[in-house]
Amino acid sequence: MSMIPSPAWHPIAASTDLVFRHVFHGKLAGQELAVWRADDGNVNVWENRCLHRGVRLSIGMNDGAELKCQYHGWRYANRSASCTYIPAHPANSPARQVTNRTFPVAERHGLVWSALEPDAAFPDLPEGDWFALRAVTIDAPAQTVMGALAEAATSLVPLSPLACRLALREAPGETLIVFTQPLDAGTSVLRALRDGTPADAEPTLRRFNRILSGLRDSIEAVPMPRIGAVEPDFAPVSADLAAVPGPRAAGLSVVVARKWWAAEDVVALELKPLSGTLPAFQPGAHIDVTLPDGTLRQYSLTNGPGEWESWVIGVRRQRQSRGGSRMIAEQVREGDLLAISEPRHKFPLRRDATRTVLIAGGIGITPLLAMAKALHHGGHPFELHAFARSAGHLPFAEGLQAFGDHLHLHLGQDPDETEATVRQFLGPHGFAQHVYVCGSARMIDTVTQAAADLGWPDEAVHYEHFSNDRAIDASSAFTVELARSALTVDVPAGVSLLAAIRDAGVTVPSSCEKGACGTCVVPLLDGVPDHQDVYLNTTEKRAGRAIVTCVSRAQTPRLVLDL
Amino acid sequence: MITLYDYELSAECYQVRLLLALLGLEHRLVPVDIHPGADHRQPAFLDLNPLAEVPVLVDGAVTLTEVQAMLVWLATTYDGSGRWLPRDPAPMATVAQWLGVAGRLGASTGAARMALAKTEEVALEPLQAEAHRLLRVIDEHLWFAERRGEDWLLPLAHPTIAEIACFPHLALSEEAGISRLAYPAIRRWLDRVRRIAGFTVMSGVFPASPSK
Repeated sequence: MSMIPSPAWHPIAASTDLVFRHVFHGKLAGQELAVWRADDGNVNVWENRCLHRGVRLSIGMNDGAELKCQYHGWRYANRSASCTYIPAHPANSPARQVTNRTFPVAERHGLVWSALEPDAAFPDLPEGDWFALRAVTIDAPAQTVMGALAEAATSLVPLSPLACRLALREAPGETLIVFTQPLDAGTSVLRALRDGTPADAEPTLRRFNRILSGLRDSIEAVPMPRIGAVEPDFAPVSADLAAVPGPRAAGLSVVVARKWWAAEDVVALELKPLSGTLPAFQPGAHIDVTLPDGTLRQYSLTNGPGEWESWVIGVRRQRQSRGGSRMIAEQVREGDLLAISEPRHKFPLRRDATRTVLIAGGIGITPLLAMAKALHHGGHPFELHAFARSAGHLPFAEGLQAFGDHLHLHLGQDPDETEATVRQFLGPHGFAQHVYVCGSARMIDTVTQAAADLGWPDEAVHYEHFSNDRAIDASSAFTVELARSALTVDVPAGVSLLAAIRDAGVTVPSSCEKGACGTCVVPLLDGVPDHQDVYLNTTEKRAGRAIVTCVSRAQTPRLVLDL
Repeated sequence: MITLYDYELSAECYQVRLLLALLGLEHRLVPVDIHPGADHRQPAFLDLNPLAEVPVLVDGAVTLTEVQAMLVWLATTYDGSGRWLPRDPAPMATVAQWLGVAGRLGASTGAARMALAKTEEVALEPLQAEAHRLLRVIDEHLWFAERRGEDWLLPLAHPTIAEIACFPHLALSEEAGISRLAYPAIRRWLDRVRRIAGFTVMSGVFPASPSK
């Protein structure tokens, strides 16, 4: 049989330890681990500490798709370990850098394996029918345990410094492979596999449990020298996570795995990663898709918690399209490669509302679908109101039935009927109620106006524009001071503020450049802005503390930006 | 009306509060300021319990000062299903056996926890060593029960007051300096107890995620 080359990989748990919605408390060579199986079967092996206050995640809650810290409720996604939600900042999206440390994982022969070195090759385990015995924890260093095994064995073949194949004197004729998992300098776990599943499983398990517990007792009967203080080992943060966040280009390559009609005039695309796995995302996230002609378009992810393998977006084929959506509808085929960005979060979902109203107009249902799935999974109260011209125009209709009583369909209503319907179900604002709307500019105007009339404050009304249909007036000329850069820049008529700043050599990230996506927002220190975007809400515009640099300009001769 | 003389941080008081909650019984809690007030050494309290300990349960003419007796009283008097304390001799005696184990847990991990909380000069190591000896046996028992598809300390389809008696000491063991890292079957059983309908928490005991 093949040799097990190095002890880089250790069994750290039994498969049967990872039961439904449980978090196993593990440890390997002094490193504490939170080990949990998500509902999709994936096993996560993470550093056992919340990035917030360091509390053990092993006392957290496994909800099947996310692990929630018991202390302040930070949530981390299955697979990526990225933070998806911070309850104390319910209106914000956690930065991508808030990602827990993960360790590699494998499951073989009824044992769960991990390694502290990320790149170690998985050992060549023997094939065959191996039966996992009950693990026994021993208060002794791993080398002491290996020595005691050698004394208790009739025959022993070392496989690695911490693994061997042997037969015990008390059970001759039964071959075992025994792994000694070092928990820390003074504690070990014996994990053994027996060659062949016995017909009488429980008596065999009991017999070996007695033998291995006896071995444990004899080892522990010898007094151990006290172990002195161990120097802490500081692990460096990965270069990717340590990097200063900046503008991110289209960073992911995906394959169009499936393309289908999700409604009349709506094409759905299922995007799978070309390699590796997709990053974590939060409900309401969108991606920039780089089209074959190089233009960027934003599309919302419709995925819910746990839907990590591929992303699904919906694209409406517009007759008067600038070309983007028509290009996707007509030219992109299954099997094509597309370049997309990391998920962007401009439309975050609060999960602390007593009532969440999701209002979708036509294709605007896409981000709200992701939100509805997240709220449904978490058992939060919500209503999904979907407006469409007809049942045939309702995108992703087949998946909506899962929401049961939460779903309200409003089909074939004209603008006046739509407004009346919205006012009727929205009602007056109550404590901790939030409304989210996505759809045409008219739909968003209808809902924001109705909400304002009914007494809903701006901060309870959330919307996302994907386009800015207003005509931009770029006729003004003014001066802008960049306070941090100590630069004064003239912005002539016909040149955008963003372009003028960039010409002066200062970098500002941007995406849509039409005043819709908010990527190029900059803090404003002085001056009166001339807001022309649809990204900032009325309150934010009135406050005058931020400006969307791609379209907005100045009402005063001078603006001062925090750049 | 059932009256419980209670101290929030006491694992024994929590046993009674837990069963009261699970049975949905109306009751009155009388907080006794054990620390730092030492109200349990006041004459009024000593009339109730000369041993100067909480909990004390008063229900009509019955006054009880031992937690195992309170669990037996509440289960036999108020649990119409007869599940929390089965009446057949073998399971009934087995429940009594686990109440005894819970007493041992109280004398080891429970005593270590109170000593650490009050920073008393107590030799912790023997208490903790005895607790580990008990936890090893309980973990092994629960591991083999899981193998047979059983969820609880007794081979029954439902929990009993054996769970109620043992749960607080095991759930609070880390406050006694006793890690449950080496007891995965106990950790899974703690999750199952925390998912019983009507379960209630205390300081240091957290709820479990819902299991569908």
